[in-house]
Amino acid sequence: MKKPLQKFYAWLDERAKISDLVQFMGKKYVPVHRHSVWYYFGGVALFLFIIQVTTGILLLLYYKGSEQLAFESIQFIMSKVQFGWLVRSIHSWAANLFILAAVIHMFSVYFERSYRNPREITWLTGMLMLFLGLGFGFSGYLLPWNELAFFATKVGTDIAGVVPVVGKPLMIFLRGGEDVTGATLSRFFGFHVALFPGIFTFLLVVHLLLVQRQGMSEPLGLDAEHDRKTMPFFPNFMLRDVLLWLIVLNVLAVLAVFFPWELGRKADPFASAPAGIRPEWYFLFMFQSLKYVPPRILFLDGEVLGIGLFGIAGLIWLLVPFWDRKSARGLRSRTISYVGIGVVAYILVFTILGWFL
Amino acid sequence: MSSRPDDNAPLFPPPVAGQALPSAGEQRRDFLKLALGGGFIAWIAAVLYPVFSYLKPPKQAEVEVTNVKVGKLGQIEKDSGTIVRFGSKPVILIRTAAGDFHAFSATCTHLDCTVQYKKDIGVIWCACHNGKYDLTGRNISGPPPRPLEEYRVIVQGDEVSVSKKT
Amino acid sequence: MVFVKQVLLPAAALAWILLVSAIPSRADTRDGCLTCHQGLGDKPSALFAHDVHAARGVTCAGCHGGNAATDDMEQAMNKTAGFLGKPAGDEISLMCARCHSDSLKMAGFHSSIPTGQFAALQQSVHGRLSLNGKERIVQCTTCHGAHGILAVTDPSSPVHPLNVVATCTSCHNNAKYIRQYNPGLAVDQLEKYRTSVHGVRNAAGDGRVAECASCHGSHGILQAKDVRSRVYPTNLPGTCASCHSDPEHMRGYGIPTDQFAKYSASVHGIALLQKRDLGAPACNSCHGNHGATPPGVESISKVCGTCHALNADLFSSSPHKGAFDAANLPECETCHGNHEILPATSALLGVGPDAVCSRCHSSGDAGYRTAGTMKALVDSLESGEKKAGALVEEAEQKGMEIAEAKFRLRDTRQAGLEARTMVHSFDGARFAAVIGKGLATNSSVTEEATKTIQEFYFRRIGLGIATLIITVLALSLYVYVRRIERRQAGEGKMTGGPPIH
Repeated sequence: MKKPLQKFYAWLDERAKISDLVQFMGKKYVPVHRHSVWYYFGGVALFLFIIQVTTGILLLLYYKGSEQLAFESIQFIMSKVQFGWLVRSIHSWAANLFILAAVIHMFSVYFERSYRNPREITWLTGMLMLFLGLGFGFSGYLLPWNELAFFATKVGTDIAGVVPVVGKPLMIFLRGGEDVTGATLSRFFGFHVALFPGIFTFLLVVHLLLVQRQGMSEPLGLDAEHDRKTMPFFPNFMLRDVLLWLIVLNVLAVLAVFFPWELGRKADPFASAPAGIRPEWYFLFMFQSLKYVPPRILFLDGEVLGIGLFGIAGLIWLLVPFWDRKSARGLRSRTISYVGIGVVAYILVFTILGWFL
Repeated sequence: MSSRPDDNAPLFPPPVAGQALPSAGEQRRDFLKLALGGGFIAWIAAVLYPVFSYLKPPKQAEVEVTNVKVGKLGQIEKDSGTIVRFGSKPVILIRTAAGDFHAFSATCTHLDCTVQYKKDIGVIWCACHNGKYDLTGRNISGPPPRPLEEYRVIVQGDEVSVSKKT
Repeated sequence: MVFVKQVLLPAAALAWILLVSAIPSRADTRDGCLTCHQGLGDKPSALFAHDVHAARGVTCAGCHGGNAATDDMEQAMNKTAGFLGKPAGDEISLMCARCHSDSLKMAGFHSSIPTGQFAALQQSVHGRLSLNGKERIVQCTTCHGAHGILAVTDPSSPVHPLNVVATCTSCHNNAKYIRQYNPGLAVDQLEKYRTSVHGVRNAAGDGRVAECASCHGSHGILQAKDVRSRVYPTNLPGTCASCHSDPEHMRGYGIPTDQFAKYSASVHGIALLQKRDLGAPACNSCHGNHGATPPGVESISKVCGTCHALNADLFSSSPHKGAFDAANLPECETCHGNHEILPATSALLGVGPDAVCSRCHSSGDAGYRTAGTMKALVDSLESGEKKAGALVEEAEQKGMEIAEAKFRLRDTRQAGLEARTMVHSFDGARFAAVIGKGLATNSSVTEEATKTIQEFYFRRIGLGIATLIITVLALSLYVYVRRIERRQAGEGKMTGGPPIH
């Protein structure tokens, strides 16, 4: 039994030089310190992305991206296709957990200042992937073509339309016309299954290659030699990763069985909006903030100002490796910590407000 | 082979045969390997079973509720009525002797029986209580309290389909 | 109150004085108009002598104007002095309304008759414009006469209960006349009426039975299709009941007075009066309207069969038809009753204490056995449907998709409804065939619903198994990692890394 396996490995190794790779991974070390636990969230996000790709492909086998059939085809998947309920519920739940894991990953990297030289590109690709993840969420939300999604998309694209100059054309581009219609569905479907995954995969490859080439970043202030502890990337870290993935998979299965993702009622463009329309939870803090902005501030439209501020804040956040000069020099900057804590607190408070109000 | 010690490699690379005689630790390790291998195979099965079941196309045709194709124009006789399944509701498609199409909900407004086209008297007729509707769906005789809900018939080329009236 | 005392009372007194002074008192028989016209021997003056108005002191001048005090014709009928001549068209009714719509004036004559007649007439179908477009179809005088107006209680009055039929039909049985206004309106009411119990008694001089005005009203007659009409389907039972539920009124006729109460509680009464289903029968649907008479024993199934056609046909071709006729039993009514027809339930069927079959059939005869079998079949279908429905509902509540089985559940219900009709064939085999159809679909629905509910539990069991597998795998992986790290620590490969936690 073992002999043929060994032979096969030798055969493969001769051609693909696997042992080099094993050696490379075996020589890679992961720093061990009291913040090591945060390293795992990138892996969890990666695992959830793989699940999204797998279940997404499975859903594609039965989903029909048209105004007439979208809702019915999801209904069909949920009721007629064996384990269709499981695949769809996992896809929906994993989408949310993915955003959650990615956000945690992002903030942990921020607070550790892991974005500093030489990992600026890793940070940028990561942030872009997070934005794309939000795009995945926004476009995927519409695909079942149910009432809530329909109106949430209407509101969401309306907000995009408020942006001066580019807003209106952007809204028309997103909607595929003046209104949210079947054309919007087709577009969002295309974004969701072709455009976004393509870009995302490219960014992911760059991101992972850089992580592998540069190794894990160590927090500032761990320079003292006696503090440095490490563990091999393979097998120690990777097996732990796998262990965590197994647990995440089980959590997903439990969520899918006990809280199957609801389908709601089919969207009717001529019906009045139902009560309780709100976007997915990860857009909630922005949605809620825009509610509090007064309609006019000085000579500016309140909503435009709010959106503009969010845009600028996002840009500043994205470019943090380039203006945080202190950590690049190996010093901890208090400003960065305060800004980070402020942002986390803001998002938490407004998400909670949006959820309960 | 890799430079790493053998006992690190039960999964990757493949373990080398002919190890030392089994000690107590080795026996425990064997049990652990068994649990790992068995667990892994069972896990693969637990993942692949739903996936392969999912890939198998279900027997029933899916339900399309806003628009139902009925058939070719040539296949629908004049002066006839056909019951069409429209989502979870029956719809009756009438073709008059003159060749016009009408479609109505086939649920009798009296007690929810399914109506039919009665050729000899040229009306839509409910077998349960002799309710009658004319070919515009109006209740003309018997117990039905309301006319039948009308559906739209679309003839596109020679394809006849029925859709909800909006 | 102050207003009444200070304004109305003096005004009324003034009006009274003016009125009394304008009209010569009764004792004063020197009415110039009447004296002269009676001398001429014309018809109006002859009739007016018996007129109810003459008896109350209203003179010719009261309507025609002019000076009644003088013998000089030129002066008496001088238009400049207020002589009106013969009123025509709407002027007639307006003339009547001058007093009859004025409660003060009517009080002056010590009259207690209502004052709303003219308003009612204007609103009524008769108050619409006539062919010439200048006047209303009917004026007061059309029914009441002009110069010989008598009290409605006077047997010679054209509107006395015994005469009103003839008064109405003077137009309403004139096909040529009625056609001008409503070509669809029948003109055979009188003919029918004379065949009705009401008509026969009315012809025999009974003034208390219903005539035209009893149902249609008098001044404010509306079309039957007008929702306010007393004979509109939803109002009709109440109209009939205004006499038929009044024990005082019905005394001496020897018929019960509880029909309306019973009808209101019946399936028909609830459908018509509460659900406003105009397809449901009112009194006249079974008894006729102008020819109101209870249907005869043999014709009941025909009368009920105008709506319940299938049941009636099945019954007429069943063995019960001959048996009921021979025993002189009214057909549908024997089992279902007449005014108080309750929704038919399966309790009517079978041989139980509430069942109607056992009223005639006794244990041992073939009918008794058939009734028992039919009841058993209905019961099995009903309980099966209930069970399948509960299962479908359970599956739905568990969040499972079961729309298709729910759709087929309709077929079970339909078979049950068809079976209720098929009972009237009293043919065990035909009945069993219909029930069988329902039982077959019902068992397939039950099967699918059961399968769906099993699927629900399968999901939880599957999750349990998957969790078990993952737990075993995760645990062994955990132990495995720990062991690797122990060995690595032994070899110094790891510089004191913390144990996995």
